[in-house]
Amino acid sequence: MNHQDTHDDHRPDTTIRILLADDHALVRRGVRLILDREPDLEVVAEAGDGAEAIAMARTHDVDLAVLDIAMPRLTGLQAARELTALKPGLRILMLTMHDNEQYLFQALKAGAGGYVLKSVADRDLVAACRAAMRDEPFLYPGAVTALIRNYLDRVRHGEEAPEQLLTPREEEVLKLVAEGHSSKEIAELLFISVKTVQRHRENLLHKLGLRDRLELTRYAIRAGLVEP
Amino acid sequence: MTSVSLYWRIFGLNAVVLGGATALLLWAPVTVSVPVLLTEAVILVGGLGVMLVANAALLRIGLAPLDRVTRLMTTVDLLRPGQRLPVRGGGEVAELVSTFNSMLERLEGERVASSARAILAQEGERRRIAQELHDEVGQSMTAVLLALKRAADEASQPLRGELQQAQEITRESLDEVRRLVRRLRPGVLDDLGLVSAVTSLATEFATHTGLRVLRRFAPDLPALDHEAELVIYRVAQEGLTNAARHAEARCVEVSLRGADGCVVLEVADDGRGIGAAHEGAGLRGMRERALLIGATLDIASPDETSAPPSGTRIRLTVPTAARKQS
Repeated sequence: MNHQDTHDDHRPDTTIRILLADDHALVRRGVRLILDREPDLEVVAEAGDGAEAIAMARTHDVDLAVLDIAMPRLTGLQAARELTALKPGLRILMLTMHDNEQYLFQALKAGAGGYVLKSVADRDLVAACRAAMRDEPFLYPGAVTALIRNYLDRVRHGEEAPEQLLTPREEEVLKLVAEGHSSKEIAELLFISVKTVQRHRENLLHKLGLRDRLELTRYAIRAGLVEP
Repeated sequence: MTSVSLYWRIFGLNAVVLGGATALLLWAPVTVSVPVLLTEAVILVGGLGVMLVANAALLRIGLAPLDRVTRLMTTVDLLRPGQRLPVRGGGEVAELVSTFNSMLERLEGERVASSARAILAQEGERRRIAQELHDEVGQSMTAVLLALKRAADEASQPLRGELQQAQEITRESLDEVRRLVRRLRPGVLDDLGLVSAVTSLATEFATHTGLRVLRRFAPDLPALDHEAELVIYRVAQEGLTNAARHAEARCVEVSLRGADGCVVLEVADDGRGIGAAHEGAGLRGMRERALLIGATLDIASPDETSAPPSGTRIRLTVPTAARKQS
């Protein structure tokens, strides 16, 4: 495939060019093979640390950067910050071992649009790449649970305006998510499909104002989950 | 030399008593008949009694400082440094007291040094294991997971099912490794700093215990070295654990603020408080860590706090400037 640069961010028919940064060569190779098998994804550059990732982003035309957080020289978070400043149109996705919301919020603040755990990389990474290109934040389930719990807690104590727009079904899902049930468990409890649960989850985040990267960051700052 | 040795003092006391008795016998107009009369026997026994009482009283006064030393020896707590005996008078007893005081000084110093070594060694080892689990085991397992996924996609049944099962097992092990790493070492502290780490701790407790955790962190806290940050983190962790586990608290507030030359951590809950008599291993651990960086730890019991939310208030004051010991 020949892709001439059109400097257009939304090119549904062309390949998404990916910069991949991870200090572990075996992981990099594995991720690359997974991504390259998709017709619309192509890894065009690889880097072993954050500084190299920035150098690669300068010399290569890339649409999406997939960054590990724990890397020598410059961490993924530092690299994300620099890449955001360097190439505002570039989408950034974090691929990491850390399932801690603090890393997530810092990543969002640094300009990342998505956050994928390595333990579900085989399942979620491709979908996360596409979501990042659509400008939708991709969060791991634990983060969604934590966010919703925190949100409900704030509503209960009057620190957040309560949301009246939820349908009864959405409220059911909201409660179950807050209790820490997985999509699969919720689907079994409510006799609906996992896909439907996932759609409900997405709608929920949207209605609570937590669907967009900037909204999410703003919420995290307001709730004191991350420093401004 | 004005001081009299203990030996001569006791000897002198006895000499005074015995000399007095002898003088009495020599110059007083008394005689003892043979066989002894009842009244004479009573007087003699009474005299012996007076002698013994006088001896006992004089010895008691002479040896009182020793009693005080014994009492402090049995009750002294090296985790609350600064308990000393007053050095009064002169002589060997005073010398003993002052030697005892300086021994306490030395023991306290050694206690701090040895627990510092133990704690630092433990934290260092934990960090190293966590690092290796994260960097080596975790990454290799991620690579395995991705390889399995690729193989599963290319294989046909029934091999594909088998591979997918292997994928799930790998995923679970990877999650387990991640939990281990998290328990071993507060990675957030190293990577994102104290405020992020304590925030993460607070949200974690709120999620897992149902406790309402309020955070109040002053902006622009003075910089601390890594050791001090780790102590603050561990004390906050122990304080939250205590609130969740023993205090039956519903709400706990964690705050960090700077105050002239110090950083102050406070963990205050609205539970039933901990009795002063009952200091568990957790609180002793906190004291030990506080000593390590020259910080002071105050634990206020319910009756001491006057404000409506009684509960327990743990306050750690960490000096930021001019810290010499480590």
